[in-house]
Amino acid sequence: MFILVVLIITGITYLIYKMGNPAYKRTRFKGQPFISGNAPFKDPGRMHVGGDNLFWGFTNALKRYFDPLVKGHTGIVNDYVYWFIVTMAVILMYIYVTL
Amino acid sequence: MNFVEHAPTLILGLPLLFAFLIPLLGRISKDMRDILFLMGLLLTGLFVGIMAYEVLTVGGWTYVFGASTSEPTNPITSYFRITFVADGFSVLATLTIALVALGAGLFSFDYMAGHAALDKFYSLFLLTLAGVNGMVLTGDLFNLFVWFEVTSIASCGLIAFTNYRGKSVEAALKYMILSVLGGLFLLISIGLLYGQYGVVNYKLLSDGIAGSPGLFVNKLALGILLLVFGMKASTVPMHMWAPDAYSESPGPATPLIAITSLGSLFVLFRLTFGVYGVNMGPGVIGTILIILGVLSMFIGVSMALVQSDLKRLIAYLSVSQVGYMTMAVGVALTTWTAEGINGYGIMAMEGGLFHMINDGVYKALLFLAAIAVIHATGKRDLNELGGLAHKMPYTTVFFLLGALSIAGIPPLSGFSSKLLIYQSVYLYHPILAIIALVVSIVTLAVICKAFFNAFLGPDQGQTKGEVPKGMLIAMGLLTVVLIIFTLFPHYVVAEIVVPAIRALGVIP
Repeated sequence: MFILVVLIITGITYLIYKMGNPAYKRTRFKGQPFISGNAPFKDPGRMHVGGDNLFWGFTNALKRYFDPLVKGHTGIVNDYVYWFIVTMAVILMYIYVTL
Repeated sequence: MNFVEHAPTLILGLPLLFAFLIPLLGRISKDMRDILFLMGLLLTGLFVGIMAYEVLTVGGWTYVFGASTSEPTNPITSYFRITFVADGFSVLATLTIALVALGAGLFSFDYMAGHAALDKFYSLFLLTLAGVNGMVLTGDLFNLFVWFEVTSIASCGLIAFTNYRGKSVEAALKYMILSVLGGLFLLISIGLLYGQYGVVNYKLLSDGIAGSPGLFVNKLALGILLLVFGMKASTVPMHMWAPDAYSESPGPATPLIAITSLGSLFVLFRLTFGVYGVNMGPGVIGTILIILGVLSMFIGVSMALVQSDLKRLIAYLSVSQVGYMTMAVGVALTTWTAEGINGYGIMAMEGGLFHMINDGVYKALLFLAAIAVIHATGKRDLNELGGLAHKMPYTTVFFLLGALSIAGIPPLSGFSSKLLIYQSVYLYHPILAIIALVVSIVTLAVICKAFFNAFLGPDQGQTKGEVPKGMLIAMGLLTVVLIIFTLFPHYVVAEIVVPAIRALGVIP
């Protein structure tokens, strides 16, 4: 009786196995019942923090200072000339008033 | 022929001669072209050395083209002839320029190897060198304008040299527009002063201004001169051309373009001390320089912090360093009266001028190391670089030394000059010292970012190995100079900086 049960279960298991995807490849998550929990650490020897990430916290906290500063450096030559003329006006007025 | 007496004119005449010979003889042989370029650099350096030795051991002199006497006593000599001043201040300026030009020139042999139109590159390089030497050596305003134009045109050609890159051409266009604007205003100020006094010679102009300091024309010309050379020296808010020009110029040209900014700062100090002098409100001029200096320090380093392009990051640090010198000399000017300059004013001058020669050397080293990284990897974005110390150990050490020096970390020479600046500006107003210290801390953060991103971390296989030996030798040369400045700062201050201050008439 016991042997008969084993044969029936083996047969059912075989039928289920045959119904599976023949293109299946074993990876970490496929075939595992639980996929949450801590991801394994990457190899520390391969990790590197990128340039923009290094002081992100600092620059983000001072966003109200950095944003206008960066936007002010437009790369447009008209603005370069504008600052030249504005500075000239300020310097000449200061010299005229104080000297 | 007495070479010593003619040294000031040979310092700019020789690079000028070789600049025109290279395209001609370069057609015969490439080796001859390279030899001529090297000779141009070495002979310029040799005559800077000869002039320095003579000035520091015997005394300075004024060189007048075609005149039998070097003193501006003859009206024809004084009014119309071209004069060059060989004094302590010229020595400091030309020495700084020669060291940087030699380092960048040696670097260019391997860096530019295989590049098309190399004769034109060498020619423009030597023309820029001649132009900036002329700017700092000249003793009259009109020749200052001529050398200003020579420098601007040659630098513009250098920036646009890699004309297959759109950004290079655009940076050159911006530089050209601002240089033309600056040149026109410079000419206007020269015209104003010539119209009033009938002379362009610095010494005679100084006498004229001292006799009538309250004239409106003096004030107008002063404001324009401060503006033009402030812009050329890349002080904030007229600095925006500098990051474009520095980052888009071909590798070895970058330190040379940067040294033209420093040359403009030398001219600015020569004019404020030597021409306007103590009679024309040095306190007002000093205050303007302090404001420009503080703005340059703070905004320069803030912009450097958010950069991810390696060359652009160093360019903004360069703007920030110009602020230190401008502020220090501004403080010295505010303490200058007819009775003399007080103790911390002299210390501020020492710090400011010592920082200029320091800055010239370590900034060139830093730029060359960054260019070596770009040459080896083909990348300049810090987000893409990493782990280069594994394959480029020498470049790593050169970059680190330059970076620590620019951040003013003891015992490197940048610390010595910054310490003099901190101490002196503290005595003027503590808030200036606090700003200078905060800027130094942020500078350290910026160079940590650059060094960490480019050199530390795992090897990412971005390069097969070190850059060619010629490039390492050029960086090594600048490193040796940096180490000498680090080991003997007191000697540099006593033997090179103090004579420069004396030449400006600040101390007897």
